[in-house]
Amino acid sequence: MKKEPFNRILDVNNFSFSYENPEAPLLNNLLFSLYENETVLLIGASGSGKSSLALCLNGLYPEAVEGVSSGNIYYRGKNIREFQKGELNQRIGIVFQDPESQFCMIKVEDELAFTLENRKIPSLEMPQRISQVLHDVGMEGVEKKKIHELSGGQKQKVALASVLLLEPELLILDEPTANLDPLSRVEFIDLLNSLRQKRDLALLIIEHEPDDWLDMTDRVLALGSSGKLIAQGPANTIFTKHAARLKKEGVFFPKCYMPENKNFGVRAPLPSSEEIISVKDLTFKRKRHTVLQNVNLNIHCGEFVSIAGENGAGKSTLLQLMAGLLPYKKGKILFFDRELQQWNQKELRKQIGYVFQNPEHQFITDTVIDELTYGMKLNGYTEEKQEDAATRLMKQFHLMHHRFSNPFSLSGGQKRRLSVAAMLDQTPDILFFDEPTFGQDASTTGELMHIVRQLQAEYDVTIVFVTHDMDIVDSTDRAIVLHDRNIIFNGNPEDLWEREDVINQARLRLPYRIRGIQQEGVIHDLIH
Amino acid sequence: MISSINPAMKAVTIMVPGLLLSFTFDVFTPLVYFIFILIITFTLADIRPMTWLKIFSPFVLVALTSAWMATLYANQTFSYGNVLFTIWGVDITEGSLMTGISLGLRSLCFVALSLLFALTTDSTKFMLSLMQQFKLPPKITFGILAGYRFLPVFRSEYQILKQAHRIRGADREPGIKGRIKQFRRYAIPLLANGLRKSERVAIAMESKGFTGDKERTHYHQMSIQTKDWLFFILFAGMLAITIAVSYSLGYLNIFGRQF
Repeated sequence: MKKEPFNRILDVNNFSFSYENPEAPLLNNLLFSLYENETVLLIGASGSGKSSLALCLNGLYPEAVEGVSSGNIYYRGKNIREFQKGELNQRIGIVFQDPESQFCMIKVEDELAFTLENRKIPSLEMPQRISQVLHDVGMEGVEKKKIHELSGGQKQKVALASVLLLEPELLILDEPTANLDPLSRVEFIDLLNSLRQKRDLALLIIEHEPDDWLDMTDRVLALGSSGKLIAQGPANTIFTKHAARLKKEGVFFPKCYMPENKNFGVRAPLPSSEEIISVKDLTFKRKRHTVLQNVNLNIHCGEFVSIAGENGAGKSTLLQLMAGLLPYKKGKILFFDRELQQWNQKELRKQIGYVFQNPEHQFITDTVIDELTYGMKLNGYTEEKQEDAATRLMKQFHLMHHRFSNPFSLSGGQKRRLSVAAMLDQTPDILFFDEPTFGQDASTTGELMHIVRQLQAEYDVTIVFVTHDMDIVDSTDRAIVLHDRNIIFNGNPEDLWEREDVINQARLRLPYRIRGIQQEGVIHDLIH
Repeated sequence: MISSINPAMKAVTIMVPGLLLSFTFDVFTPLVYFIFILIITFTLADIRPMTWLKIFSPFVLVALTSAWMATLYANQTFSYGNVLFTIWGVDITEGSLMTGISLGLRSLCFVALSLLFALTTDSTKFMLSLMQQFKLPPKITFGILAGYRFLPVFRSEYQILKQAHRIRGADREPGIKGRIKQFRRYAIPLLANGLRKSERVAIAMESKGFTGDKERTHYHQMSIQTKDWLFFILFAGMLAITIAVSYSLGYLNIFGRQF
């Protein structure tokens, strides 16, 4: 498949890196090489230093963060420390995860020109190069558009285009699809696959969810939690021979290598007919733009409902409206048969919980314990009762050791758990989640789903999830699909997967469980 | 039309009358110049009158207030002439009234000039021309340009924070102490996120080969052409003519000195 001979681009030689404490390095004694035109997948648990490694490879770290490193990295046999500033960046390009924070200009053409200007390409050549690269990434004609008006998927393509203009030999992609909707994700991966075949380009892909990348991957590198490289080799040996080790380290496992197709546990819907929330003819406008038009929706007590749809379809707005966070003018929202806007705020907040996409937004105090008791203090609980409840929550959410830690200093998964725990000081009747698994790794997602299931089963809490993750949608009692200001599907997830029209319209995708069946033959070949 | 003038040159052009006018304390000079600016705004610049009025009208109130204050509290130098009328025991003289009106007109001139610049200038091009014409270091100009992108992000983050805190009942805390606490609660995550994002952007810029090197090519070649000089001469020339006419008619007053 690949052009011979394999020439090395990068040699990483006993390389270690740490932010503060060289005794416990984030990257520990790494030894590996990257070759011309190969595609390598870098996997590892969250917090294992994958992103830092990417920036070390193109020489931005350790200087940019005043970190400490030891060992050497060679680019084509030359130590990267000997390169002039900016020189190495042009040979090794990086596309980052967050589409919002990798641009510095307003218009697409200016952003692309920025790269060319850095390379001192003559002005006259620029327009031609810009339109060529936009053609290559399938984004012709967007030169004059403003970047913030593009969708997430389009932004990532522009980011890719701007890096391709460097004409790099090695392209590093740091979770490039983590913030994209399911279909944009597939499109982006297909695009890379075709680019890789047309250009002389080595790829190093950092991913939480390796599944979709496996077809184009030549080799896999696995980073352990201690910052050591625990395995490297072709995908089929990595995920079979080293399976036990990888699992122990909390590395995300491709679903096709999981023997029992682990789902998030499908539960039979409760036969409750009592409506907790009922939305009637709701229309919502933001300035002159109509976000939701005549939406009707009922949610029953104890139900687990998921809301899906492409970015900007109004999912989060609907969630905020149902939680009483946004005022509405047209239509009705009844919470326990009473108009939401007639509820006393204090009462309402006791019964409705809302978990935001970014857990940091919710933190109010300086320690974990204060965070958990905050609501209880406001409601005048006794010290004893506070202590009891907080201890119970810390135990349940594995936060006992972090009692006095600052919430902002916790790891991603811990922050997520704390943000949920803080909502449970008094068990709410309904709990809203706004894309809680966005950019989280497998174990955090699994943990969260476990907690949610527990809440639903033990306390009969109604759960509403806004999510892009089709595997989560698959495991809920009911799926609601928003598209173009309205609900276009409302029913059993099982039935949703039959509706190809809805799936295409709302830019969704089938869950792995069903895709897996369709691909079974291919996977069989991969393993054996 | 005016949007095609070199932005750096435009900035200088409006700064010259803006500064010089602040020394004229008579009514005639700023009035004539104000009319001139209005004519330019509605003929040569491609500005929608409604847009302009919307932004301009609040400043009229500001100008009126400051004019009135200046009238009431005019310095001795300026309170010459006969007493026109008395208000709450304060004598309003001819001189103080003129000074007040003049101040109002000057502030209107300044607002109109600023609007003429702001409404016809592309912020990106302004930065690029500051870099190319005035040799501002690329680190600063591209830093500011990247900062532009943050403004809307900041606003939406603030909205989310407010909601998140409402969910926790955080706005229930009464008193000034509670308010200070709340400000701190907003400020820390906003700043933390802002820092994190700007760090990310900086790294993304560097990884696209940006070094802050002044030697770079330019996609938008900004240059100063004849029409830019003409624009400058138009504004500076009109100022000179206005002052000259004002002088010959005996109206001109600079810092209280009548000429």
